[in-house]
Amino acid sequence: MESASRLDQNGEPTLQDFPYIIEWREDRCTRCGRCTAVCPQQAIEPAVFAQRIVLSESSTPVPTTVRRVMHGIRQVRDVERYCTGCGMCSLVCPNMAIAPHYNPRNKFLFYKNSGGSPYKRGGRRNDPSPSTLDRLKFTRISMLTDPALDAGRHEFYIRTLLGRILPPDRLPLKVGDDNRLVVGDGAFIPPVREIFPIRIGSMSIGALSPTMWEGLAMGVTYLNEVEGIPVVMCSGEGGLPPRLLRSRFIKYFIPQIASGYFGWDEIIHTLPDMVEDPCAIEIKYGQGAKPGDGGLLMAYKVLKLIAEIRGVPMYVDLASPPTHQTKYSIEEAVAKMIQSMSMAWGFRVPVYPKISGTKTARAVLNNLARNPYASALCIDGEDGGTGAAYNVSMDKMGHPIASNIRDCYLDLVRQGKQNELPLIAAGGIGKTGNLAANAAALIMLGASAVDIGRYILQAAGGCLGDEYNRCNLCNTGKCPRGITTQNPRLYRRLDPDKVAERVVEVFKSAEIELKKIFAPMGRSTQLPIGMSDGLSVSDRAIADRLQIDYAC
Amino acid sequence: MAREITIIKGDLNGSRVSSKDLEERIQEAIAGGARQLLIEANGQHGIGGRIWPRGEKVSIRVRGPVGQRLGGMGMSGTEIVVEGSCSDDVGWLNCGARITVLGDVTNGAHNAGAQGILYVQGGGGARCDTMTKRNPRFEPLQSWYFRDVGDSFAEFKAGGISVVCGVDPRNPENVLGYRPCVGMVGGTIYVRGPIRGYSTKDVHVVDLTSQDWEWLTENIRPYLEAIDRLDYLDLLTRSPSDWQKLIAYTPAERKAREGLKIPLTQFRLQTWEKEVGKGGIFGEYLDHPRTVLPYITTGADRRLRPVWNNEKYLPPCVAACPSGIPIQRCASLIRGGRLKEGLSLILKYSPFPATVCGHLCPNLCMRACTRGRLDRPLDMAATGRLTLDLPAPKPAPPTGRRAGIIGGGPGGMSAAWQLALRGHEVDLYEAADRLGGKVESCIPRERMDHEVLEKEISRFTEIGVHLHLGQRVDKEAFQEIYRDHDVVVIACGAHQPRTMAFPGSEDVIAGIEFLKAVNRGDGPDLKGQKVVIIGARNVAMEVASEAYNLGADSVIAVDSRAPVRFGKRHKAARAKGTQILYPKVTERYDRGARKIYFRDGTSLDADMVIISIGEVPVLDFLPREVHTERGYIVVNNMGQTSDLKVFAVGDVTRPGLITRAIGAGRRAAEAIHAMMMHTDYQPEKRPAIPYDRIKLVYYEVFRDRKFIPEQEANCCLSCGACRDCHICETTCYHGAIERIEGADGGFEYRVIDNKCIGCGFCAAVCPCGVWEMEENI
Repeated sequence: MESASRLDQNGEPTLQDFPYIIEWREDRCTRCGRCTAVCPQQAIEPAVFAQRIVLSESSTPVPTTVRRVMHGIRQVRDVERYCTGCGMCSLVCPNMAIAPHYNPRNKFLFYKNSGGSPYKRGGRRNDPSPSTLDRLKFTRISMLTDPALDAGRHEFYIRTLLGRILPPDRLPLKVGDDNRLVVGDGAFIPPVREIFPIRIGSMSIGALSPTMWEGLAMGVTYLNEVEGIPVVMCSGEGGLPPRLLRSRFIKYFIPQIASGYFGWDEIIHTLPDMVEDPCAIEIKYGQGAKPGDGGLLMAYKVLKLIAEIRGVPMYVDLASPPTHQTKYSIEEAVAKMIQSMSMAWGFRVPVYPKISGTKTARAVLNNLARNPYASALCIDGEDGGTGAAYNVSMDKMGHPIASNIRDCYLDLVRQGKQNELPLIAAGGIGKTGNLAANAAALIMLGASAVDIGRYILQAAGGCLGDEYNRCNLCNTGKCPRGITTQNPRLYRRLDPDKVAERVVEVFKSAEIELKKIFAPMGRSTQLPIGMSDGLSVSDRAIADRLQIDYAC
Repeated sequence: MAREITIIKGDLNGSRVSSKDLEERIQEAIAGGARQLLIEANGQHGIGGRIWPRGEKVSIRVRGPVGQRLGGMGMSGTEIVVEGSCSDDVGWLNCGARITVLGDVTNGAHNAGAQGILYVQGGGGARCDTMTKRNPRFEPLQSWYFRDVGDSFAEFKAGGISVVCGVDPRNPENVLGYRPCVGMVGGTIYVRGPIRGYSTKDVHVVDLTSQDWEWLTENIRPYLEAIDRLDYLDLLTRSPSDWQKLIAYTPAERKAREGLKIPLTQFRLQTWEKEVGKGGIFGEYLDHPRTVLPYITTGADRRLRPVWNNEKYLPPCVAACPSGIPIQRCASLIRGGRLKEGLSLILKYSPFPATVCGHLCPNLCMRACTRGRLDRPLDMAATGRLTLDLPAPKPAPPTGRRAGIIGGGPGGMSAAWQLALRGHEVDLYEAADRLGGKVESCIPRERMDHEVLEKEISRFTEIGVHLHLGQRVDKEAFQEIYRDHDVVVIACGAHQPRTMAFPGSEDVIAGIEFLKAVNRGDGPDLKGQKVVIIGARNVAMEVASEAYNLGADSVIAVDSRAPVRFGKRHKAARAKGTQILYPKVTERYDRGARKIYFRDGTSLDADMVIISIGEVPVLDFLPREVHTERGYIVVNNMGQTSDLKVFAVGDVTRPGLITRAIGAGRRAAEAIHAMMMHTDYQPEKRPAIPYDRIKLVYYEVFRDRKFIPEQEANCCLSCGACRDCHICETTCYHGAIERIEGADGGFEYRVIDNKCIGCGFCAAVCPCGVWEMEENI
């Protein structure tokens, strides 16, 4: 039987069903083919069109028909080759003849499950509405009531402490005979690092291309070594290259261990050769972008580089299950992982878990509060990004970070431990570009530091994201900027030097913005962690929930 | 003009007057002509400011504790001498007053000052000379500090000259205090003594020029005189090298300094790679060049590359034709004005194109024809009929190889035709006394003009095949044929009727026998008779039609299930009155009662019952070595049986269309030829080109076109075969396609890789679907 599709495009979706519609201007197009050569999805293709024009040029109706066949660009109506709106076509077009336009009436989710396979993508929750973080305002402007500070001229201490900070009475220190402090025999002082309060969160080698990852790493190192801004970066779960492990720069990095344990045998092999301790160790239990969804690096991304760094064979799917295989309860899981990782570096390195934002975060926190080796708790909220996840996990699962971090902080306050165990907030910081403001808001709600991921990809790599449905190709290996692909043809589009330069610019300016926020509040010598009286919101319910001021 | 000194006291009647009253009294005194005042202050604010110039000097001497902002908003012509130290903001917003402080000044001296002079005998507090201005209409501001100044000196200084002499400083390591010059954008600071921690992003230290030194040495004398420290003149003017000059970076210099302290590339090479190794942290894993690629690439860096896949695919017509007739090439020849050559090409693939293509074949080629998607398919039946009068092709010179073919039907004749044309000696054995097999014996004459078949059979006989008609092959004969020939082809068809066992089945006539009798002219007289046919497929329909032709009163065909397809022959039979009933399973036939009974309890009147449910081959002559399965000979795709010397084609392998038997005969002959001549047999394996590769929009629609061979050929879309139209070459924006003529008159299109960006235009616009985009690996 003739396939129905032949008849009259029966059963094919219409362009109106697609999230982005290509607008192509015939009058401007030179048919140079740059757009079709670059389109990562092959969502557009050259095509032949026929035009039939009936003319009547006589003084009476005398019809003649003119037939014209011409070439042009056509959008493909194949769900698998949908236009992601990345805009590469308009980027390379010499004549502004082509651009994608978001189609808010699309019915994409009705179709994007061909073969019974649900929509998977990279990116972040598709929700362009302003986040709670963006709605928080800094309303305590103490120009005359407190010492007024000038961000431009005063010195600021925009640093935070990562690690467990014991209160003075619990520090195992004594005043010695020579009036100096001495540590008691066998006493344990938890390791603490002084870092910049905005960190680069966990994005693995594999999820990111080598050019992107190295660019970030170089930028972080530059910030530390040249600019004196102690920014640190988490490795993500994909191991670390031995060259970096053996370098003195490793102190700016936080190796992550997660349920896939990728790259950890390589790290352990390198341990004796390490000249510096890493900044900290992060144990990943969850990811805010996709709670309950594990990580998966597709086989085609597992090339030589990834295989060797992760210690796996080439061309196999690498699953990081959503749960660790040998952990059965909070007490057991957290205790044994923190112990193991602390031991690996002789208890000299802070070790902390990262969980996805959840209603049960306080249970984890209360457990950590009682664990003397726990150095912090990182909570990753729903607006975080990911390299690959089910759309449903991304769009519909997870907990917003603001109230989660607030609840945890207030819990610590109740226990009198708010200065002891740092909370690190992640997930959607800088989602709409307000990096420093979002970071400051979270700090004032109780976070000691924040992690950024997608923001830095956008800012430093030119990630083509917006909050509707744009690009999100990270999982396909077709990233048109070369950020999340292992294809050299694509990732060589990215100049690691430029990435690093942008990282430096981003953090330098974020530091200035943080000063601009903290100065009018008269804070320069320490971060206003938990200083929630400086915050207001014009939404009564948010104000009540976060226990902050309502202002309108 | 000497005047008397007006004394204004800050205390009256034992109590302190307010700043407001003191100010009003001073202004009043000056308005009254006083030009020399002695203020005995008691902490009043803003003493001595705002005395607008009167063309003469107003001297004010201040004694006692002064309040803040002494000389604030001071004007030119005002000269203030304070006999001791001052409180904050001396000379605040000074607009021209000369203020001498015979002591220290505390914080904020000359803050926002624009003109005038401040002489300080001691040192300055914090934030002195901050926000100072320079108005080009006036002489610049001067601030002189004898000792040192406090923290945050000269913040946001925009003009004026500050001199810090550094004599006996409170902090011998730093005479300018903590973090001076933050935000300073203009003015000059001369400083003598060590400095540290000044804002290097705002200011820089330069040597004094001779003009600086001249100004300094000239202006320091009146300063030292004013503060009664002239004895330090020699020390302070000993050498310009004792002094440093701080000036702000210009906006252009600031702009030039924007960005990073070290270029990133330099950092990578000198710091990063020095520590982690050459090529960076991934250097040991990456083997590609470390250069950056543009978005649009050529050559090896393209994602896709176009390939001129001329004739990589079969056109749909050829792929659909079981005989494999190269219809497209035939059309191409006709299009090129070589009609005869084109038609003759068909003869090379089938010995009877006029009979089969022209009349009997369902023309699968036409069903598949891409043109059919536009208007109507190329009429291959009509084209086939054109071949009728063509002469037989000339066989190749004899090879001396011998082939024996059993069966003179379409399959056997096709194999014989192909082998004989290749120069082999062919013996053809046929049980009947005429060639043509079922085409001749069974197919009703009304389906086509019998002369056409006879003519084509006669043409067949011209190529020198040895015919052995009327010779049924049995076991012995087969052995003989097998022995005497290099190869044997079995093409004896299926002539044994399938039957069903039910009571009365012995009184049922086989359809094939009925048809054969009709074609021989021996058909029974069915006048007024009721005929029931068991079976309702195509052949049963032919039986039905013939029964009507023989005068039957009614014909009813019954079947156990619905016919697979209602085709032309169903239509023809039904037009004559044939009824088709199903599902009907025969239970018995009572010839005496002339009734046939079915299992569903029904019955039909039946004067005659014919069974037509297919035939199976008669294979009683086969040796053991030739395997069969369910009554048919098992062959591979070349038609070869389990005995490698024996081939089988046509219905003897499985029942099918005539064209399939012809194709099988040709393919077997090609394989046999290769085998006998020790060459390689290359079976056709190319898939059909997908329809969407053919660009129909180029072609005008001719809905009702008449069949004219040349026009018909011109309507061929040349699916998958380059028609040399130059569209690709013309379309390519980058000039990356060239057409190359071969020495043999052929041509090809080629991609110039270093120009091609892999955009896909050539593949998308190629009318014939020749260009394809491939992964550029």
